[in-house]
Amino acid sequence: MALVFIVTLVQDSTFKSVNETSVPLLFVDNDKDSLSFQLENSLTQAHFFTTSKKNISVDEAKQLVATGKFLMAVIVPENISKKLRNKAKAKISKAFNPNDSIINDDSELQLQLFFDPITKQSFKVTISSAIDKIVSGIEMQSLTKELSQQLKQNFPNAKPIAFDSKPLVTTIQQYASTNETSLVPNSVQHNVPAWTMFAMFFICIPLSANIIRERDDGSAFRLLTMSGSYLNVLMGKILIYLLVNLIQFVLMLCVGIYFLPMLGLPQLQIGNNFFTLLVVALSSGLAACGFGLLVGTIAGSVDQAALFGAVSIVILAALGGVWIPTFVMPEFMRKISSISPLNWGLEAFYGVFVRGLSLGGIFIYLLKLKLFFVACVSGAFYYQVYRRMR
Amino acid sequence: MENQFVEIQNISKLYKGSLVPAVNNISLQIKKQSVFGLLGPNGAGKTTLISMLCGLFKPDSGKIFVDGFNTISESKKTKQIIGVVPQEIALYAKLTAWENLMFLGQMYGIESVELKKRINEHLQILGLEENKNQQIRTFSGGMKRRINLIAGLLHHPKLLILDEPTVGIDVQSKTAIINHLKKINKEQGTTIFYTSHHLDEAQDFCTHIAIIDEGKLITEGETNEVIKKNNCKTIEEVYLNITGQKFRD
Ligand SMILES: Nc1ncnc2c1ncn2[C@@H]1O[C@H](COP(=O)(O)OP(=O)(O)OP(=O)(O)O)[C@@H](O)[C@H]1O
Ligand SMILES: [Mg+2]
Repeated sequence: MALVFIVTLVQDSTFKSVNETSVPLLFVDNDKDSLSFQLENSLTQAHFFTTSKKNISVDEAKQLVATGKFLMAVIVPENISKKLRNKAKAKISKAFNPNDSIINDDSELQLQLFFDPITKQSFKVTISSAIDKIVSGIEMQSLTKELSQQLKQNFPNAKPIAFDSKPLVTTIQQYASTNETSLVPNSVQHNVPAWTMFAMFFICIPLSANIIRERDDGSAFRLLTMSGSYLNVLMGKILIYLLVNLIQFVLMLCVGIYFLPMLGLPQLQIGNNFFTLLVVALSSGLAACGFGLLVGTIAGSVDQAALFGAVSIVILAALGGVWIPTFVMPEFMRKISSISPLNWGLEAFYGVFVRGLSLGGIFIYLLKLKLFFVACVSGAFYYQVYRRMR
Repeated sequence: MENQFVEIQNISKLYKGSLVPAVNNISLQIKKQSVFGLLGPNGAGKTTLISMLCGLFKPDSGKIFVDGFNTISESKKTKQIIGVVPQEIALYAKLTAWENLMFLGQMYGIESVELKKRINEHLQILGLEENKNQQIRTFSGGMKRRINLIAGLLHHPKLLILDEPTVGIDVQSKTAIINHLKKINKEQGTTIFYTSHHLDEAQDFCTHIAIIDEGKLITEGETNEVIKKNNCKTIEEVYLNITGQKFRD
């Protein structure tokens, strides 16, 4: 349990930088006119940056970004608004009076963007195009403003056209929830199910110890000489350990929902499909118990079982994305990851918590977990029969 | 052949990794309602033989029939007939005596009212009534043995198999256990198969005796006959003559 708090707190910061409002942006305004005001406004409204405004030179700004104080800087050159207005005016008047020879300023108007070298290409492209878009919006506005003024001059009776600055076409950006690779749950959404899976599989240690102890102290001997099926005895055991697992599961959820927010972490969102959640918990718990049963049956001693159990769970957990979420793993690791039962459980939990899927959507994971359980139990049972009857 | 309740035919068992067989070509017949004592030094193969008799292990060769049923191919039927008291005290230390017996009785499929009645009867006879709600871990060795015994009797088996039921306990507990077994043997007609290191106890208790050593059958027959045919006065004398004085394991 303690592990959950620590890891969640640590990871929270890493998740945040990808996920939340915290790209530190340096804004240098040498223009102090309409363009810079509008640009600044748009940037603050984007909720994606924490904008700091500084009155410094281009070189100083560059230095601040290079040293990592800011992830990026936007530098608005002097008089850019004025130049933009002049350009717009020139363009429009030229359209209305093609023969007029108004001196056209051909110099390009440029905003300067600096990026921290650690940022990815994709980040740069995204940000640049976002800023481009804001700027072309502003450009468009000054053109339309100029246009309506010219129209008024040429056709005094015409009603002024009200152009609102809203773009006619907008794009909506969101996480495509059915596409798993782009899904970025926050640290709590990741850690609580991840460590729940981990803890659930750790039932393997006491369960296998129990089986081995019964084998050593003669209880298994007695139970095996009874006419009832030994499989029923095993199922009874699994039922009890499954119950323990479910209690553990509920406790972990409570930690995520009530306790972590007290530490200033986001609250665990468990979706609202409780039945599905229960099915996921049961399936994961069964898979974990089945694994414990198999380990306990095959291992020769309690120590052996504990060692093998612990090591294999840690490996399966690492593969399955308990420590490092699968979505930050490279593609080939993600492929390997999908052989870990912990990963199936984790994906199923994500399905319910984050993607809001119903039973159908996570069916494949549930099926895998159940098959794993059946395979483990039959493996354990037949190994036990084989050992006696060979 | 009639009257033979248990028929053990040339069974052998070699454990994986060991060089000599733990049980080596043993054949025995056990009459209905008899008390059969299997004697032998440590490591002679008594527990191994019992494991096969219960259908827990398959003999490498040979067959065992209990009341006409093959212990392997008809294991379900034979398991219904037998009751087993293991050499180890196979009880749940943190549960009370009562809880242990209720659990095991239910595992044997005994209906609850009847089960409670039987448990109380046995507890009373073996003098454990007052301790029934104590945890097993607080029990003395003799008390544990007695509970262990009751656990194998509850379902009224036709064949009761006991692996050293009187090991490591005082004379009082021992006497209580043996007397209880004698009574069950007489009243319920239960056939008893038992192993022990207490030779005088065996001589007094058993109608038939077999002595095995290093997996092999050395001598067997009715108790008195065995003594007679070896020209001895007691089973202990027979035993020492046969198995010698050296340590076995
Ligand atoms: N599971 C096992 N694996 C390998 N060897 C075993 C196993 N169980 C018993 N043996 C060996 O088989 C032989 C017979 O053992 P067994 O337990 O049947 O003897 P026993 O007559 O019951 O002895 P004791 O009087 O000490 O209970 C011994 O040499 C023992 O070491
Ligand atoms: Mg033994």
